[in-house]
Amino acid sequence: MENKPLIQFKNVSFRYNDKAPWVLDNVSFTIEEDEWVAIIGHNGSGKSTIAKLINGLLFPQKGEILISGKKVDEESVWEIRKEVGMVFQNPDNQFVGATVQDDVAFGMENRGIPREEMIKRIDETLKAVGMSDYRLTEPHRLSGGQKQRVAIASVLAISPKVLILDEATAMLDPNGRKEIMQTVSSILDERNFALITITHDLEEIVQADRVIVMNNGQVWDEAKPRDIFTKKEALREIGLDVPFVAILADELKQYGIPLPKEPLNHGELLEDLWTLHLRT
Amino acid sequence: MDITFKNVTYTYQPNTPFEHTALENMSFHVKSGSFVAIIGHTGSGKSTLLSHLNGLQVPTEGEVTIGDYRLSREHKPSDLKELRSKVGVVFQYPEHQLFEETVEKDIAFGPENFGVPESDIKKRIEKASRAVGLSPELLKRSPFELSGGQMRRVAIAGVLAVSPEVLVLDEPTAGLDPRGQKEMMDMFYQLHREEGLTTVLVTHSMEDALKYADYVIILNKGAKYMEGRPEEVFTQKEALQKVQLDVPEIVQFLTAFNQKFHTSIPFQKQSEKELARSIQQVLKGDEEK
Ligand SMILES: Nc1ncnc2c1ncn2[C@@H]1O[C@H](COP(=O)(O)OP(=O)(O)OP(=O)(O)O)[C@@H](O)[C@H]1O
Ligand SMILES: Nc1ncnc2c1ncn2[C@@H]1O[C@H](COP(=O)(O)OP(=O)(O)OP(=O)(O)O)[C@@H](O)[C@H]1O
Ligand SMILES: [Mg+2]
Ligand SMILES: [Mg+2]
Repeated sequence: MENKPLIQFKNVSFRYNDKAPWVLDNVSFTIEEDEWVAIIGHNGSGKSTIAKLINGLLFPQKGEILISGKKVDEESVWEIRKEVGMVFQNPDNQFVGATVQDDVAFGMENRGIPREEMIKRIDETLKAVGMSDYRLTEPHRLSGGQKQRVAIASVLAISPKVLILDEATAMLDPNGRKEIMQTVSSILDERNFALITITHDLEEIVQADRVIVMNNGQVWDEAKPRDIFTKKEALREIGLDVPFVAILADELKQYGIPLPKEPLNHGELLEDLWTLHLRT
Repeated sequence: MDITFKNVTYTYQPNTPFEHTALENMSFHVKSGSFVAIIGHTGSGKSTLLSHLNGLQVPTEGEVTIGDYRLSREHKPSDLKELRSKVGVVFQYPEHQLFEETVEKDIAFGPENFGVPESDIKKRIEKASRAVGLSPELLKRSPFELSGGQMRRVAIAGVLAVSPEVLVLDEPTAGLDPRGQKEMMDMFYQLHREEGLTTVLVTHSMEDALKYADYVIILNKGAKYMEGRPEEVFTQKEALQKVQLDVPEIVQFLTAFNQKFHTSIPFQKQSEKELARSIQQVLKGDEEK
């Protein structure tokens, strides 16, 4: 399948006001349809600002942003927002419905989705995030992790072209996080859209196709997870880290064990160790 | 301060169609000076439990005691201010505790409210913001013009500035970058030891619970499911999986390794380095054969 650029940042610089420092400094990158890109970086490095620029909550002072080739500006922003689904860092900032099911319905109503289809999607998405029992609950009466689950259901329901999850699973337990990300990625396999996850969770990064590393408002690196994780020391210097397997692999190498590649998960590392074991 | 829950039940919206029992007949004891981790699936009642510790919620049935304070339906203390000056709570979402015009004023709010002398406040702001890694140029900013991780740091600084005796932390590292997560937990731990605090931490990180806590309580659907020392609790894979939890990653790896290589390297809170060494010895053993 041919991949088309869906999101293009061209030399984008941004600051929150004239007197404030630039928080994005000449940022350029491209994200394709059907791609899962993780954006990582230290606190305050500009990740959420990038997300808000993509859906036109903010506009850059320099450079331009294109979504499906269309420039994001005051004119195009209403059209573009229909294509972009976003879960904010704090889900309380986005609940609008009086009940969980109203909340999931809201985004679909705005996009003119027919009633029968809406009902179907409410059922499907709440089931997918494990919140079917809470349809009639008021969102502010949910636990922290339940709020995040509902916020994710609400964006999945609108079936956007670009789905941005800004630390949307930070309050979930590791299992819950895994389940939700599996759900999202299986939807990514079925439909064409771009998935952008902003995250500090090292396990989540592993699953992405590509990683953009931000540092002080600039793109510090852009590579596949496996390649990113070979730069342990450099990552640590900019406030980041690598997952458990990468740390263990590094320690094993220190003990002279010649691992053939940077392992991404337990399975890969065990396989490589097993191969070495058979060879001796 | 000692903390005791005695048959505590908490029901949200009682006697309405939405009635929901979030804690059920919960009893446990936290010794003064200990570091307890509370773990459980989404919605298992962790935050509800924590909000009993500063009297934000009062048991529907049963009794909570914190030091000399007794909280029960019959026994609502008329003045919670003193309790709140001793029990500092970092809430799950930091925005919920930010409201002042500037970061500085936000951090100063607690100490001012609890009568810390004006001359001391500046020092406290400085010390607390340094402890949480908040750069000084952010102090004059509105707390709502910050990144998520920066807001988290302000919320934590505000609680530290009060110098509480009991530190209650609801997923305090969510939203922090990896270095921030580690530094923050190390800072809490140091404070815990140096100041002899009693610390109650809600976390989804089995790794943090293993590293910092001396006692673990596992919740399931509002009830206490397991409790004990971390290395006892965290090796019980089946029991944990029943309530949708997992053992720490290092334990998972070790179990899989032992199975594949027919070895029996025990789990003894070893570091990655120590684990690598044991693995090397298994492989080296091969060579010598
Ligand atoms: N509304 C605002 N007004 C002024 N400055 C802001 C505002 N929001 C964010 N900033 C600043 O812009 C910079 C980038 O913030 P951003 O929220 O994009 O960071 P982030 O990478 O998402 O960080 P985190 O991991 O903490 O969420 C930070 O230094 C922050 O203080
Ligand atoms: N204000 C409220 N009114 C009614 N029910 C509530 C309220 N707050 C929480 N609940 C319910 O009580 C249960 C326990 O919630 P609590 O917030 O204590 O969970 P938690 O263990 O902290 O979960 P999480 O890990 O998701 O933060 C949940 O089922 C939740 O839906
Ligand atoms: Mg952010
Ligand atoms: Mg909670």
